[in-house]
Amino acid sequence: MIPSMELPLVFFTILSQLAIGLTLLYALRTAGPSVEPEASAKTQWIAFTGILAFSLIVSLTHLGHPLLAPRAVLNLSTAWLSWEILTFLLLVALMAATAYLGVTRGFVWLTAAAGFIALFVQGMVYSPSSFPAIHNVLPFAFFLDTAVILGAGTSAWFAPKDKQPLLRWILVGALSAGLLLFLAAPCIWLSGGTAMRLTGLAYLASPLYWAHIVLGLAVPLAVIVIARRIPSWLPILLLAGALCGRVAFYLDTIHTGVNIGGLQ
Amino acid sequence: MKKQLGFYVDAKRCIGCFACAMACKNQYHQASGVVWREVYPLKEEIYPHHERAFYSLSCNHCEHAACMEVCPASAYTKRERDGVVVHHQEKCIGCANCVRSCPYGAPRFNPVTERAEKCSLCWQRLDAGLEPACVKSCPTNALRLIDLATFNEPNALQFPPGYPRMPRLNPSTRFRQAELPKIIKPEDME
Repeated sequence: MIPSMELPLVFFTILSQLAIGLTLLYALRTAGPSVEPEASAKTQWIAFTGILAFSLIVSLTHLGHPLLAPRAVLNLSTAWLSWEILTFLLLVALMAATAYLGVTRGFVWLTAAAGFIALFVQGMVYSPSSFPAIHNVLPFAFFLDTAVILGAGTSAWFAPKDKQPLLRWILVGALSAGLLLFLAAPCIWLSGGTAMRLTGLAYLASPLYWAHIVLGLAVPLAVIVIARRIPSWLPILLLAGALCGRVAFYLDTIHTGVNIGGLQ
Repeated sequence: MKKQLGFYVDAKRCIGCFACAMACKNQYHQASGVVWREVYPLKEEIYPHHERAFYSLSCNHCEHAACMEVCPASAYTKRERDGVVVHHQEKCIGCANCVRSCPYGAPRFNPVTERAEKCSLCWQRLDAGLEPACVKSCPTNALRLIDLATFNEPNALQFPPGYPRMPRLNPSTRFRQAELPKIIKPEDME
């Protein structure tokens, strides 16, 4: 059973990556000229801000002492977690500023860049040496892929018709990359040390991991290729698949401490 | 080298009696399920004999402690005078990042206080001129307190088999490996 204190982190990471993905995709699809006008840009950016702000509130429930949360930025010298909190606070402020001060190209790209940096910092938080399987660039790669998938899928609800092919191609690319990444990682882990090998075995035996592969990646990819559009129900399936995958990420990644006394 | 206290785990002498773990529990009365010291049996892949060998482990008071580096609230400090890594409960926000990040699983999450906690190397006892409770309780002298600045045991290991190898953290625990017993067969007697 997943420790209850990790569930808020599952929702925090997925929702924050959804908000960042929406920001990145907005920047990309409005970079070129458009025949049709965007739906109310201000409304979209208020929604992006709301999703990120909600995810940050959810993350507070993970703390044993949420009222002490302001202390979490005290160790910027060595703790990526302090940087994560700082960058996400800056990001939500930038999103709110974009929504209320005007959705200009400068603000949009600045916020998108801040979102990309926030994803990198979030990836670093989840790559400690105690989890050899993810003590590398994989968490950042997982998070970036999830952000692009969720962002592209959900953007289809707001984007004008002439931008739908662009979103479709981005989503096909991200889903294909995701399939490659999430299928290859456990297979590569099988050739590593004990904690890494146990992680690979745990992933391959996990129904949640396979739910993510099938529901969150393979089925959406097949639907888009066959239907040649992004159906309005697809973002719900993408979100459900991403949630399953994230629970597996927390639950099945093995800590070095589990095999003390055995071959490392 | 500055003074750096640590544990010397003599796996050749350890009989796996758990007296050290019990002494720690008696000293600090941790919540149910929370342990600061654990006695790990070596698996057969490392010690292939039916009589078991053990590592008694707690916090390693590393030179570059992962817990201290990742704690966003600066709830950990390292004492200048002896290198003991101390967790300050009142500063802990209960994020459990140290629990996830220590490769040795030393910090534990206390579900009652909703804060992390770990072995303090009994720094209050040290300051009073006493040995840590676990060291004092060991009946075979298999667990000792050492100062790495003066420790000079040529056969001691920092990363024996069965113990995660993390050179960057530079853990302060040192080991003497368990030896397989010499089995005398009847033909050897002749």
